[in-house]
Amino acid sequence: MPDTDHRLYLVAGAALFAIGFYSLVVQTHLLRRIMALNVMGSGVFLVFLTLADRTTGSVADPVPHAMVLTGIVVAVCATGLALALADRVQAATNKVDVDDGPDGSQDATDAKEARRG
Amino acid sequence: MDREIAMMSHVFDWILVLLVLALAWRSLNDCDLFRGVIQFIALGLLLAVAWLRLRAPDVALAEAAVGSGLTGALILSALVRMRQRERRGVPASASSDTSRTLQSGTSNRSRVLIGALSLALLTALGWAVFRFSAQSSGLAVESLAKLPESGVTNPVTAVLLNFRAYDTLLEIGVLLLAIVGVWALRRGERPGDDLRERPLLMSLLRLLLPVLVLAAGYLLWIGASAPGGAFQGGALLAGALVLGLLAGLAGRFLRRERLLRTGLTLGVLVFAAAGLLALWRTGGLLQYPAGQGGAWILVIEAAALISIGLTLGLLYLGGRPEEEK
Amino acid sequence: MTASWSFALLVLGPLMAAALAFVFPRRGRGVALAAAGITAGAWVGLVREVMAGGVQIQRVGGWSAPLGIDLRADGLAVLMLMVTGLISGAVTLYSGRYFRDAHDLESAHRERYFWPLFLFLWAALNALFLSADIFNLYVTLELLGFAAVALVALAGNREALKSAMRYLFVSLAASLFYLLGVALVYGQCATVDLTLLAAKAQPGPTLWVALALMTGGLLAKAALFPLHFWLPPAHANAPAPVSALLSALVVKGAFYILLRLWFEAFHSLNTPAVAQVFGGLGAAAILWGSANALFQPRLKLLVAYSTVAQLGYLFLLFPLAAARDGGFLAWSGGLIFLAAHACAKTAMFLTAGNILHAAGHDRIKDLGGITHVPPISTFAFGLAGLSLIGLPPSSGFAGKWLLLSASLVQGQWWWVVVMLVGSLLAAAYVMRVLTRAFTRVPDATAPHPIPPVMEWTALAMAVLAVGFGLVARWPAELLRVGVPWP
Repeated sequence: MPDTDHRLYLVAGAALFAIGFYSLVVQTHLLRRIMALNVMGSGVFLVFLTLADRTTGSVADPVPHAMVLTGIVVAVCATGLALALADRVQAATNKVDVDDGPDGSQDATDAKEARRG
Repeated sequence: MDREIAMMSHVFDWILVLLVLALAWRSLNDCDLFRGVIQFIALGLLLAVAWLRLRAPDVALAEAAVGSGLTGALILSALVRMRQRERRGVPASASSDTSRTLQSGTSNRSRVLIGALSLALLTALGWAVFRFSAQSSGLAVESLAKLPESGVTNPVTAVLLNFRAYDTLLEIGVLLLAIVGVWALRRGERPGDDLRERPLLMSLLRLLLPVLVLAAGYLLWIGASAPGGAFQGGALLAGALVLGLLAGLAGRFLRRERLLRTGLTLGVLVFAAAGLLALWRTGGLLQYPAGQGGAWILVIEAAALISIGLTLGLLYLGGRPEEEK
Repeated sequence: MTASWSFALLVLGPLMAAALAFVFPRRGRGVALAAAGITAGAWVGLVREVMAGGVQIQRVGGWSAPLGIDLRADGLAVLMLMVTGLISGAVTLYSGRYFRDAHDLESAHRERYFWPLFLFLWAALNALFLSADIFNLYVTLELLGFAAVALVALAGNREALKSAMRYLFVSLAASLFYLLGVALVYGQCATVDLTLLAAKAQPGPTLWVALALMTGGLLAKAALFPLHFWLPPAHANAPAPVSALLSALVVKGAFYILLRLWFEAFHSLNTPAVAQVFGGLGAAAILWGSANALFQPRLKLLVAYSTVAQLGYLFLLFPLAAARDGGFLAWSGGLIFLAAHACAKTAMFLTAGNILHAAGHDRIKDLGGITHVPPISTFAFGLAGLSLIGLPPSSGFAGKWLLLSASLVQGQWWWVVVMLVGSLLAAAYVMRVLTRAFTRVPDATAPHPIPPVMEWTALAMAVLAVGFGLVARWPAELLRVGVPWP
């Protein structure tokens, strides 16, 4: 809409993306990380829809709307799959994170260092 | 007068944006995970308001039903399951305690590092988005010009089921893939049948379920000309299925494995078959015969509605319903 | 007309097969074989059209870009489809026995779900290689990622589940970076079509950030150093045929999109500095991956780290192919290398699966004595190693030779040094396995017999990895069709 401050919404979308990314990396609990991915996704959708709202006519650009609908459905599918996998991980390891690396490969050292206790 | 309205909507935008950001931060960093999930669901509802403000009612409907409602329900039930398992088993390490919080997270040094990285990301993004011109028609002109040929009058449905129908076909594939992946992983747990002991609630449900199914069909039908469509209708159908599962009404249905699997794949199979049939008739993949777009879209959407509703509803089970023979 | 059917069947064939394999779980193998036949036929039809009539375009729904989605087949796409078809065919044959061998309930379950997931993966790859639309590519990436993660988790053990979880996080976050980039591109250019973008995209802050986001996401998916951390555990813990698919094909899907972005849609942003950064990361991947492969205790981990290294070579294509002189040499060299690596890696992972099957483990230090039992498998591993090291007349040699010639022509000698060191390290880690396998241990445990079809498919892929080099002229000819620069 012409009177909407698009920059405000665009920056908010960028901020949602950054908040989600930060939490995805910093948090260890699998559920929090899954929610963080959803927040990142919402940031992308906010950018998409704000860009679509810049038309001067009576309706917004429908193409990004369709893309965001696709994105929302993909996001809920990803959430369902990730939750089922997280459940199996907890059942197998008795833990709700995936922080320590497998059989001491060097890629795990960062995560190990980061984990407390 | 106009200035006052502009001023008010400006204030509204600021409050909305600040609330969204605050809720996003709290939902991911609250020390109580349960509270975090609740804030996450509230965030979804606020976003739906933002989508309305950005003139995206179709997306707002889907966000409220799927993004906030269903995703929230999925995460909540996963949280309950995880906590139950923790109570049963002995926690293997400090970080396994679901109610435990941020302290069991990352070290301060890497927090600062990742924080700096995220801020850099935000700066770059902010720099990029500030360059956008305030007005751009995108593909609005093209879509509206071709709208009469699409067979529907809701432009979003025209994009989803006609102009970019191929995306949607693959997306229905993603839905099926998700449920196959989930079923491959684990067996779902039937929710407890405690609702049975509440006769009033049960009779209310028996009334509500047919209404929900009817409403799903209505949303599908109206999607041709107004906000709505297969996804929004499918989300309602999924809601009905989840309620039915909670009330223990869907048990017999869940045992009919072949029927379930057929229903789940119906969307992909009908959509793909329609694509091939159109190719045979018109020589173009997914190119509906001239003047018949509306009918083709309705058939495809009806099949998709069933699959979407079943998929999203069965995702709530978190696994395959029965042990296969 | 023929091309239209080819486009449709290459994507919808495996997709419908995936759905059918889910409805009829007991018929999975038959459905997959039928899908293999359909895609093979469709591919033959397409390659004839492309060779005769040049680049083929399908306007889906009859709408052309920017409103609609275009599918496009040029030489590169056809080559990738061929590699995908060959490897998927081999995996179909191999898996028909692999999952059936143990008659417990668990592996019956695995087989049931393997077929639909594998067919989804195949459909996603075909859709990805044919797409000319960066949003549609996002959807194919998600299909690909979900299928890959679910297939890794199919192994079901603790390590596999954990690495699948990590893989899913990386994959989803990477997809969102890519999608945010798509949003910015759409906001700036009002199109998501690769061809239209090539005309519209002008360097500017928005597009630089957009391209950086998309590239970052794709590099994580392609597991280029230093974003490779998720790959070794995921590829090493998956079931053997899945490891083959992941290493040979899935990571290359992301690489393919990078080529489409940097050499076509946003060629105006592909500056020498950017190209050198890609090359530098590639060089680091070669050295880091090879060095790590040398010290891995398990065979599958070794092969997985070798993938990290070999992916590095692909990125040398960026600094070498952008130049005017010898650009096409490097382009075709890099892509022949890609095909060679795909075949060789399939052979190696299938062999590793055979060795696991025969010996019950894949600890390299205990492999002694198995050679006289599965000689075909060991031979297959050796042949694939030949191509990986890049010895003539293998196709690995053909690819590396073209890349080397391009760097010499252009005076970028530093890449020559990296490639030679990488080859030496590859020789060292391949020999480490072979010397172990050829030493006979008197009290070797009685091994489990390997079904012949599993040995012969591994060998066939190894023979392809070598033999492809003898006909390297043909793919070079094919790649000329629709090459992104004159």
